[in-house]
Amino acid sequence: MINVLTILFCLTLIYLACTTRLTAYVLILVLQGALVAGVHTLAFFGDFSWSHIVVAAAVLLVRTVIIPLFIIRIIRQLDLGHGDRTRRYHPGFLIQMSAIVVIAFLIANQLSGLASVSVIPLGAAIAGMAGGGLLIVRRRLLLAHVVGFLIIENGLFLLGIGVQAQMPWVIELAGLLDLFVLVFLMGIAINQLKSHFPEAERVELTTLQD
Amino acid sequence: MLVVLVLILLPLIGAGLTAWGRSDRVNHRVTLLVGIAHVVASLYCLISQQNPFPAGWWLAVDPLASFFLVILSHTFLLVSLYSPGFLKRMAGPEYEPSKRLFYPGLNFYLLANTLVLVVQQFALIWVVLELTTFSLVPLIFFYRSRESLEAVWKYLFLVSLGLIFLFVAVLFLGVSAQGAADYTGLVVSRMVSAAPQLNPFWLKASFIFALVGLSAKIGLAPMHPGDVDATSNAPAPVAALMAGSLRSTAVLVLLRFYQVVAPTKVQPFAQKLLIFAGLLSLAVAAVYIWRNRNYKRMLAYSSVEHLGIISVGLGIGGVALLGALLHLLFSSFGKAALFFMAGNIHRSYGSREVERITDLIRRLPWSALVWAIAFFYIVGTPPFGIFFSEVFVLKGMIHGGNWVSLCLFLALLMVSFIGMSRAVLRMLQMPEPGTSTLTVANPERLNLSHVLGLYAVAVSVPLALLQPAALFDCLHTILAGFGAKL
Repeated sequence: MINVLTILFCLTLIYLACTTRLTAYVLILVLQGALVAGVHTLAFFGDFSWSHIVVAAAVLLVRTVIIPLFIIRIIRQLDLGHGDRTRRYHPGFLIQMSAIVVIAFLIANQLSGLASVSVIPLGAAIAGMAGGGLLIVRRRLLLAHVVGFLIIENGLFLLGIGVQAQMPWVIELAGLLDLFVLVFLMGIAINQLKSHFPEAERVELTTLQD
Repeated sequence: MLVVLVLILLPLIGAGLTAWGRSDRVNHRVTLLVGIAHVVASLYCLISQQNPFPAGWWLAVDPLASFFLVILSHTFLLVSLYSPGFLKRMAGPEYEPSKRLFYPGLNFYLLANTLVLVVQQFALIWVVLELTTFSLVPLIFFYRSRESLEAVWKYLFLVSLGLIFLFVAVLFLGVSAQGAADYTGLVVSRMVSAAPQLNPFWLKASFIFALVGLSAKIGLAPMHPGDVDATSNAPAPVAALMAGSLRSTAVLVLLRFYQVVAPTKVQPFAQKLLIFAGLLSLAVAAVYIWRNRNYKRMLAYSSVEHLGIISVGLGIGGVALLGALLHLLFSSFGKAALFFMAGNIHRSYGSREVERITDLIRRLPWSALVWAIAFFYIVGTPPFGIFFSEVFVLKGMIHGGNWVSLCLFLALLMVSFIGMSRAVLRMLQMPEPGTSTLTVANPERLNLSHVLGLYAVAVSVPLALLQPAALFDCLHTILAGFGAKL
């Protein structure tokens, strides 16, 4: 079942490469949040403890409700509701994303020969981290960068499952809090950009360079 | 236990009081008191070499932490002394929201950095390191200009991406310890004890990710741009804090990983990686210092250069490791002096462009004097401390027979030195167009910022020449922990 969920996670990455709408990006974040919470619950199903339930519930709450709602609010505040396309659709992005997913699974397969890892979750994790990075590089809208960052974070969460690492639950919750504060600060920064420089949410940040 | 209360609880109380207080004067006094108490507690930790926490805990004040605490608290105290003058100059109503956040931000910054230094659990270090980034956001955004907003955005984004790499490093470190140590522990001292049993493959991967991830925070190439933008666009006291203490805090986290790697077969690989990262940073800094026309960016790249020197010193080991640690301490002094003077120059000329700064010696004689002394300090002129720390790094390279690295190191330092000299000497001596008189209407008077700048550069001389026992005993204990032989 974990494998099914992680493959679904990879499909969300393919969908990410097909769409250019910000609202679709938020939907992808909600789906990925639910999938990683599901993977976390299943991974520790045999080793039941309340701490795992608390972490899974917190993941579900932060990644599928609080952060997506916050991003929707920013989209409304920035008045990106109608023309919310990050840029024109380009098939090259889909090809690159597909290549990333394939290469990620090949790397995970190679790593399985060197150490004890779960190949499919590890492959999905590498694909998620690289896919989020690709989104940041390909899309220039700042909000798309935040979405890319969150997808990398989702990949990171799967990586913990993939390499069979188990963090103390307090750390997992503190990490989630950090993530929320970070997204919150990024949202404030985007809003400040809008209020100080009305055209700024669509321009590139290139004032500071050598 | 009183030391722990002072180190952790006092900045927390300071942050609360200054957030609640509305008077700048009261907030400054609270921050200054916190700073003085923090310096006293840090010095006590350095001298006594006593860890107030039980062994194997998630918190500890080991020799490494106590040395870095001194760097942090000393820089913080200098900044808290400089801040009232800076805030007084920011008189417009547009600065009021930033001024309200300034002192709480400083106290929160001290708290977050102290936590990074005393926390011993790798995953928790990652969490509190993220807090140091959050604490800086309102401080970097002080001017509320487009440039500062862009700087905040880039800093927040790049450092957070770097911290994702760091988390991967923590995960891999945990995986390397599976079956060898108490896995859920991830406590530095326990990991060091279990180091020879760790899986070398995952340990190597962990160190690579730690170095790449922390580079954004340390300011090492190629992850330096966010840090350079933030340092060059932040107000002078914040830039001094970032260059003087934040980078050291991030270096300490890297040293925590290196502590685990040092007793294993992975050490030579980690050393090569550190030398490579250091030389790459020196090369990038040399290029950008040479062609830069913005003196604050030049200082930010000078920090990249010094972190490059430190990285090379850490990689070489032995006496060079001692040099690297001393360089961290001494460069924090020099950076504070330079950024304080850069703040004075910016206020007077309203520009950060080197070409617009003319006749500095006549217009701002005291700032020009401290600026010139601090420049000679930072480029490693004797008898200042940085000269000695660089000599230790060079000595380590010669002892180790790293001739290629040595040649590259010296050549790149020379390029940076010439590049910086061109800008600094031009600012000092270039006459103002259309003026020929030798008198200036309102010559600058000596103020606290000059005294602080002079103190910062002067204090390194007795430290380097007299080598106080408390400091050098602590440094030798640290070196012994890394297995370094002098």
